[in-house]
Amino acid sequence: MDIIVCIKRVPQTAEADVTIDYTGKEIEKDRLSFDMNESDSYALEEAVLLKEKFGGEITVISLGHQDTEDTLRIALAKGADNAIRIKAEDFDELDGYKTAQIIKASISDLNFDLIFTGCIATDDAYSQVGVTLAELLDIPHASLVIFIDTSEKRAHVHRELEGGLMEHLDISLPALCTIQTGINEPRYASLIAIRRAAKKEIKVLGKEEIKDENILLNTQIEELFIPPKTKEVEFLTGSPGESAGKLANIFKEKGLI
Amino acid sequence: MKDKKNLTTEINPEIRDILIEMGAEDIYKCYQCGKCTSACPWFQVEIYDYPVFKFSLETALGAVASSEDKKELDKEIELIYRCVGCEACLEQCPHGISTPNILRAARRLLVDFDSYPETLKSIVQKTHNVGNPFGEHRENRADWAKGLNVPDFQQGIEYLYFPCCLPAYETRNQKVAQATVGILQKCEVSFGILGVKETCCGEVIRRIGAENIFEEVTKANIKEFKDSGVKKVLVTSPHCFTTFKNEYPDFGADFEVLHTTQYFSHLIDTGKLKLNKSFDKKVVYHDPCTLGRKNNIYEEPRNILKNIPGLEFLEVENFNRNLSLCCGAGSGGLWLEWEKDERIVNVRLKQLMDTGADIIAVACPYCLQMFEETLKSMDVDIIVMDISEIIFECL
Repeated sequence: MDIIVCIKRVPQTAEADVTIDYTGKEIEKDRLSFDMNESDSYALEEAVLLKEKFGGEITVISLGHQDTEDTLRIALAKGADNAIRIKAEDFDELDGYKTAQIIKASISDLNFDLIFTGCIATDDAYSQVGVTLAELLDIPHASLVIFIDTSEKRAHVHRELEGGLMEHLDISLPALCTIQTGINEPRYASLIAIRRAAKKEIKVLGKEEIKDENILLNTQIEELFIPPKTKEVEFLTGSPGESAGKLANIFKEKGLI
Repeated sequence: MKDKKNLTTEINPEIRDILIEMGAEDIYKCYQCGKCTSACPWFQVEIYDYPVFKFSLETALGAVASSEDKKELDKEIELIYRCVGCEACLEQCPHGISTPNILRAARRLLVDFDSYPETLKSIVQKTHNVGNPFGEHRENRADWAKGLNVPDFQQGIEYLYFPCCLPAYETRNQKVAQATVGILQKCEVSFGILGVKETCCGEVIRRIGAENIFEEVTKANIKEFKDSGVKKVLVTSPHCFTTFKNEYPDFGADFEVLHTTQYFSHLIDTGKLKLNKSFDKKVVYHDPCTLGRKNNIYEEPRNILKNIPGLEFLEVENFNRNLSLCCGAGSGGLWLEWEKDERIVNVRLKQLMDTGADIIAVACPYCLQMFEETLKSMDVDIIVMDISEIIFECL
């Protein structure tokens, strides 16, 4: 079973002081850590688990700048066989649709039974690349996948929906799944695998190698801004008795008691 | 750890060589005597057999974190991250081998390949992103000093006081920074702080194995110190002390560093710090590994405590000075959770409590935090105080 896994190197912004850069369309990234997008690491692990079961090859692909190769190498150490970086520097501004078109053009020579992507990227949170890529390739897809059981021709998948609902689907292969976090436990890389990965070649594709001339950008970012504060958090200090007194006063002031 | 290793198939010279390149050069000095294992704090946690002496051999064979089996590899990496870096092993080793350094070589590779515990990854990222391992905002870094009239450091001021992250952000530890400032002001010492410009010293992330981010943080700190005209730094944390004194010079630092216990001991000896009030308590001193074993500072904290009127000074029998047992918080240990009966801190607290002391005196924010958090769940009267807090009460 051959599987393509799309991964993205993203800045870790959850515990950072995020600021907007001079263009007004990007965040300042100089002091941020970068890492494989969280749900992509689950997608990679799911592919490795299927490879362990059925054999085949895993190709990881990422549209990014030079440092994306560090992330691809981590994927190689954690079980991928081949890695491709598409040079983001060749493609100016990107959106989900344009990224999906570029990936489609880049994998035109590859055989695959499944494509996995993460269900959402933690930086732009579009959740578009996976499903758009499936539509462009004209293959079935399932998003927010939390369970997969495959045979050679078909896959039985569970989708995690809002409100605690679960949808069970039977889809024919080749297909694309966007993988939800929690589907498995991503593994560590052993030192042997790390050394092996260090020696592997990462294929780099630029605009010239990708022959599709009609790659379009559908959306453009006009402005990025930090939303103004609308609510304030107040910490009540002092002994438990004093804090309770202050809290009671606030309730009274607001007319709640 | 595997019970049996098939040595003929598992020798991997390439991994051995890269680990040596990353700092594990002492491996061939080891002749497997096992003294390190008996000195290791994990040995004191009786149910856990922590194979310290094996790490040199396994590194020499290139057989560290080598399993291709997921569960087995998880266990091997867990062992690598159990090490609290206390160097009790080094203290006992006839050949002066630092097992923490050997393990750190493996940690460096594992960190580069995103293969280390999530909790530690989170503190590395937070330190990189916002300059402290707690993910607190930079703008709140000097909140502990509000209302204390602490000047910002500028040219002409003699000492930079560098509390670092725990005393800057953590409520209990903030009292140590506040007491320190109180003592310095009472003694009319010329000092200032960097305030919101202060960034973590990076010691813990280096121990975890995040060498690249450590270097970035270190270079930024050195630049900040140079730009501000800092020549002398006074620190509360032995972890800042050891990295500033022993590691920063490799990156171009040229400032003097003093631990508060060194400075306060000096001020007492020269009559500038007068301890007027009596402190009628039985006090046992816990030697922090990073102050004692790693930097040979044993006398100054004792000198301070023995000069406090009314204070009855106690030692932990057998486990004091260079034989002190770690609190378990070093090298990332503060952030790692172990089963209740597998915690080093419980063993150390029992040793300290068995002395009959009213107060455990510490000289390290990590030890203070570890003991405080653990004592919260115990029904005991003993309390933990930093030496600076005890001094402050006696002014």
